[in-house]
Amino acid sequence: MIGLTDFLLVSAALFCTGLYMVVSKNNAVQILIGIELMLNAAILNLVAFGRFDKINNGGQVFALFAIVLAAATTAVALAIILNVYRRYKTIDPGKINTLGD
Amino acid sequence: MGTDQAHIDHIQTFHTLVVLVLPLLAAIIGVIVPSKYKIAGWISTIAILLSAVFAIGVFTGVWNVTTVHTQTLWFTIASTNVYAGIWLNNLSVLMLALVSVIAVPVHIYSLKYMQHDERFNRYFTYLSFFCFSMLALVVVDSLVLFYAFWELVGFSSYLLIGFWFTRDKAVQANKKAFIMNRIGDIGLLAGIIIIFAQFKTFDLVQLFGEGGLISQSVLTNGQWISPVGQMPELWQYIACGGIFLAVAAKSAQFPLHNWLPDAMEGPTSVSALIHAATMVAAGVFLLGRAYPIFNLYELNTLAIIGCFTAFMAATIALTQNDLKRILAYSTISQLGFMIMAMGVGAYASSLFHLATHAFFKCLLFLVAGVVIHEMQHIREENNLDIDPQNILYMGGLRKKLPLTFIAAIVGALALIGVPLTSGFLSKDGILIQAFVWAEGKSWIYQVMPVMALFTTWLTAFYVSRMIVKVFFGKFRLLDINPGIHLHISDGGWYYKVPLALLSFCSLFPLFSLNPLIYEHAWLFDGLKPSNFLERVNIYHTLVPIGVNILSVVVMYTAYALYVKRNYTFPQHTALFRLSYNEWYIDKAYNKGIVKAVLWISNALYWFDKNIIDGIVNVFRKVAITLSELAVWVDRYVIDGILYLLTVFVRRTGNLVRLFQGGKVQIYLYSMLAAVLLIFILKFII
Repeated sequence: MIGLTDFLLVSAALFCTGLYMVVSKNNAVQILIGIELMLNAAILNLVAFGRFDKINNGGQVFALFAIVLAAATTAVALAIILNVYRRYKTIDPGKINTLGD
Repeated sequence: MGTDQAHIDHIQTFHTLVVLVLPLLAAIIGVIVPSKYKIAGWISTIAILLSAVFAIGVFTGVWNVTTVHTQTLWFTIASTNVYAGIWLNNLSVLMLALVSVIAVPVHIYSLKYMQHDERFNRYFTYLSFFCFSMLALVVVDSLVLFYAFWELVGFSSYLLIGFWFTRDKAVQANKKAFIMNRIGDIGLLAGIIIIFAQFKTFDLVQLFGEGGLISQSVLTNGQWISPVGQMPELWQYIACGGIFLAVAAKSAQFPLHNWLPDAMEGPTSVSALIHAATMVAAGVFLLGRAYPIFNLYELNTLAIIGCFTAFMAATIALTQNDLKRILAYSTISQLGFMIMAMGVGAYASSLFHLATHAFFKCLLFLVAGVVIHEMQHIREENNLDIDPQNILYMGGLRKKLPLTFIAAIVGALALIGVPLTSGFLSKDGILIQAFVWAEGKSWIYQVMPVMALFTTWLTAFYVSRMIVKVFFGKFRLLDINPGIHLHISDGGWYYKVPLALLSFCSLFPLFSLNPLIYEHAWLFDGLKPSNFLERVNIYHTLVPIGVNILSVVVMYTAYALYVKRNYTFPQHTALFRLSYNEWYIDKAYNKGIVKAVLWISNALYWFDKNIIDGIVNVFRKVAITLSELAVWVDRYVIDGILYLLTVFVRRTGNLVRLFQGGKVQIYLYSMLAAVLLIFILKFII
């Protein structure tokens, strides 16, 4: 029988993977993928908690909204990355430092 | 009557001040005048001539008439008033007149004697200053002033003895004179301090005047009691010892006499002044001033020392070959007579002899000056290498220098004490009173007058030897160097006038109308104590006759020995060497005192260099070590702490800067770390 804990563990693993990618990768696209993984971990949590909720399908619906919003933010983030690439010829976030002194 | 007296006092004081100020003014002018104008000599001579005129005026006004004591408040220390003033009595006016009158021929003589000297003006400056010091010394009424002028006399004689300071011997001589006199000065200072402590005054009149404090003081039960205080008896002896030391130094008595022969390095005219009236007379004058303080024992000591000095100096003079040295020792000998006379109570005779001696000794020195001057002239003209003062080169000069010869004979006879001269009157007075003094005392006292008598015969011999070697016989320099040219003469009136003047003063008429009896001399009469003994005993006839008969014999012997037979005494006997080497006193002083002083100085030098400097060096090393330690502490501890701080700050800065590196991921890292930290903390707590 698959319980809530199993879901939460998977979610945690996903979140950690995503977090690791965000802090360690040099590629903005990979970082974006990491962010997506973390987002998905959160969505997984929503779905898992929704299953044990008394209000029917509240968690799933909230998850759907979250997926849509995630798609939208990803589209914006990809657009930004494209623009950054055009301007700096790199997508390594460590090298984009002209705002610093 | 009272106002008349005050008026007379006022005039005499004023005239005395004129006497003092004129030579001082001359000295000051001499300093100012540039050396190319040789006029200082004339200024000094005129000043001293006027001084002498005024001094004679004061003398006639005061001598046997009155005493003048004028003073004014000089300064006050606490409740002690120190006065400065003038005390004119018979003694001081005699000295005032004597010094200024003797100084006149010396000045005139010096005009010629020093005319080619580059430092002509300076010479007369010194000479005037010397006269001023001495003249002031004899009239001041305060021990403080007396000491000051005493020092000035010593100082100006130092300047004059070392006048030709380019000669090493002159420098040595003036140093010696100065140091010897310093020893005496210490004695005088000690005496003055003790007298002040005892009597609470510096005033000579109060102290030594008739019925003064000193004559009221008594020595009883080991205490020295005066009207104003008392102290142990010992101090009285120390005070008298100090005064005697001063007298011995200035008047060249036995322990401190040996500066005087060396002082011959000065110009001869200066020697004449020093020996006649200024320097050496100061000692006898001090003795005359301070006479009441000496008690019987001290007077006996004075007599013994004076007698010994007279005898010793006479024996030394027998063998000396330097013309001026013979005269110097004869001065010491005559001064010994004066001190002895003071000791035996012949106060008046002592001062009488001082006065007569001043004239004939000055005369003899001026004669010596002429002779030396002419010998120098011969030496320079013929390029000879001789000592112009050595009497062995002279001889037969009586034909070349007739006037000088006559003057020399007069001076020599006066020095020997032959009748009709002034020396006879004064010297026989001393001898007679010495015999009277010794009469009825133990044999030790009897020796003294006999020794004095013997000294007069020695005097007769060495003076005759000197005169004979210089003026009689053949000119020995001519024997050694037959080809030399002689162009010598008595010199101009600059030489002739002083010699004539002094020759006259060396004869009896100036002092007494009766050439044979010293008591009739006016000078003696004015100074003798009121309780003077009249001619009561046989000595008054016996002594002069005995002295003179033998003196004449001695003189003839000398003449016969040196002129007729050309005799030479054996020169290797112990007595000859003792005399020739001046009793080895200089050598003894060199070995005993000078060496000891040098040894002590060297020891002190060593002590200073090694111990004192050593201590200083140790301190230095300690200080250096300490500062090195401080440097280390400063560099490694203080600087280290600061350095650590900077390192800490830099590290912190670097650490903080890491977070601001612009790397987004590192921000995330740190956020993650912070969140984890909070969780961990929360978990632990």
